[in-house]
Amino acid sequence: MNLYLVKRILALIPVLFVVSVVIFLIIHITPGDPASVILGESATAQDVEALRQQLGLDLPIYQQYMNWITDVLRGDLGESYFMKESVSEAIFSHLQPTLSLAILAQIIALLIAIPLGITAALRRGTAADQTVMGFSLLGMAIPSFLLALFLILLVGVKLQWLPVAGYKPLEAGLWNHLKYLILPAVSLGAIQSALITRMTRSSMLEVLNMNYMKAARSKGVKERQLIYKHALRNAFLPILTVIGQTFGGLVTGAVVTETIFNIPGIGQLIINSVERRDYEVIQGVVLFVTCVYVFINLIVDILYGVIDPRVRLERK
Amino acid sequence: MTKPPLLEVNELKVHFYTERGRITAVDGISFHVNAGEIVGVVGESGCGKSVTSQAILRLLDEKDTVEYDGKILFEGTDLLQLPEAGMQKIRGNEISMIFQDPLSSLNPVFSIGSQIAESLMLHQQISKKAAFEKAIELLRMTGIPAPEKRVHEYPHQLSGGMRQRAMIAMTLACQPKLLIADEPTTALDVTIQAQILDLMLELNREQGMGMIFITHDLGVVAELCSRVVVMYLGQIVEEADVETLFAQPRHPYTKGLMKSIPQMDSDRSQKLHVIEGMVPTLDNIPTGCRFAPRCPYADYMCHERPPAYEEHAAGHKVRCWHAEKIAQEEEERSYVS
Repeated sequence: MNLYLVKRILALIPVLFVVSVVIFLIIHITPGDPASVILGESATAQDVEALRQQLGLDLPIYQQYMNWITDVLRGDLGESYFMKESVSEAIFSHLQPTLSLAILAQIIALLIAIPLGITAALRRGTAADQTVMGFSLLGMAIPSFLLALFLILLVGVKLQWLPVAGYKPLEAGLWNHLKYLILPAVSLGAIQSALITRMTRSSMLEVLNMNYMKAARSKGVKERQLIYKHALRNAFLPILTVIGQTFGGLVTGAVVTETIFNIPGIGQLIINSVERRDYEVIQGVVLFVTCVYVFINLIVDILYGVIDPRVRLERK
Repeated sequence: MTKPPLLEVNELKVHFYTERGRITAVDGISFHVNAGEIVGVVGESGCGKSVTSQAILRLLDEKDTVEYDGKILFEGTDLLQLPEAGMQKIRGNEISMIFQDPLSSLNPVFSIGSQIAESLMLHQQISKKAAFEKAIELLRMTGIPAPEKRVHEYPHQLSGGMRQRAMIAMTLACQPKLLIADEPTTALDVTIQAQILDLMLELNREQGMGMIFITHDLGVVAELCSRVVVMYLGQIVEEADVETLFAQPRHPYTKGLMKSIPQMDSDRSQKLHVIEGMVPTLDNIPTGCRFAPRCPYADYMCHERPPAYEEHAAGHKVRCWHAEKIAQEEEERSYVS
């Protein structure tokens, strides 16, 4: 197991290297000069040139990359041009809302998807199955912002049960914190659950027909245990893959939902810094987001090993 | 004739509802198993032998595809009338089952030990630790070397023979009175087959449990069973004790099966005997005798009217119009040789 882990982690190094080069190049090749953006249109050519030197933008590109990456490896992502904080501070302060939202949305998605997927698989071909599959199709078809707008209108405006937008940190109390997150989390989670439901259903159907299910039944295992212990654990690998993907998407890409509900998360940070051409921040956030994706995939890989001994033992 | 048999299957019918309509896979079979006795059930694939075995444990999908008729009496209780909870107490405890392919019948994500221990914990008031200790004992009994180590291993780490031993250990965990073995050696190498058969015979003698041994291999039957039931297309065509069946088969199908066994001392230039034709599908059952289209003895009557299943000699039942004629032929043949 430890060897498996070390191998997985070592495999990440080249991935992260390539990613850092690509991010750096994209941002530096795109037209537009950070120095003139910072100084505004009224700046003289001399001032711009002076700032370029100060920022190191006059150096050859590989040298700029070397400077940047050595700083990054030391944990320094640079300074924002516009906000009075470092890039890491900016990311950190925007991460908390995004994480809260992502976790809550993921929990909601799983609470909807796993039971529905199992039910659909057990009652394959019945009206219950078709209803679940119908809703799942609908969920995959409509974008989450549409559901978000609908929820705002119904729960926020008409019923006035929950606030329509905004964010309070956890320090303001659990309910205050959750109150603002429920609507965005439901709109994200419900949409994410569509895919997970399908995966659960098809994966369960495959497992339910396996010989070992019949063998377990022949031992006298009860129906509930049969499904939740014997079948679900076997069916969980493909489900886990989808969960990893959707969670990665939630942490990094709930941009539209965060904007609609005015949540100061990573999504907003990306949008704002792109609008302001705050290059250091864009660079830092994109790198961070990639690392999050890679890290989530690593965790998924580790969980594979925990769930399935064949993964854990055969890769020795 | 004082003690009732351990298991008595009485006019069992199993119907499946499929896209092509209602199909009767097992059509009125009756047989019994006495305590401590090994009964062989023989037939080609699709004859209903596996369906019968799964019907006894009620493992078929009853929600919407299967319907039963008849009776399956286990120690006097009709299993077909039991609610699911009652069946759960019998499965693995009183009656257990060994499946054909041990790899696909063991759950890949649980260790061998925990799968054996699960059986124990389901049916006995026993702690997890004690169950694991007993699992080690059971593995040792089935001849697995280093059971203390194997108990923590997973199915994919064991060889085919060891998997089937582990499977046997699992089914024996609660010392069932009846063991149903559905082609337990078909997926194994020949040398391993012999070991597993020896093991099963030994366990049958030691623990005195009844066994239904389902197979298409008559050689295995001769070695293991005391009584044999031959099935063809959902019906029993012949039943006899093993000596009688091999010495004086009375059903043309049984005769055909026996001739199909390759003989070591026979002339190699001769082709192997085959039973002509193919097994008809279940939605296309012949009107007369079910075997008539493939039968060398078949005449007009065979194609018209189904023969009754009758006792021709003590304990020797046959479903054939020509049973007497075949018996005479066999007698003459043995006289000549």
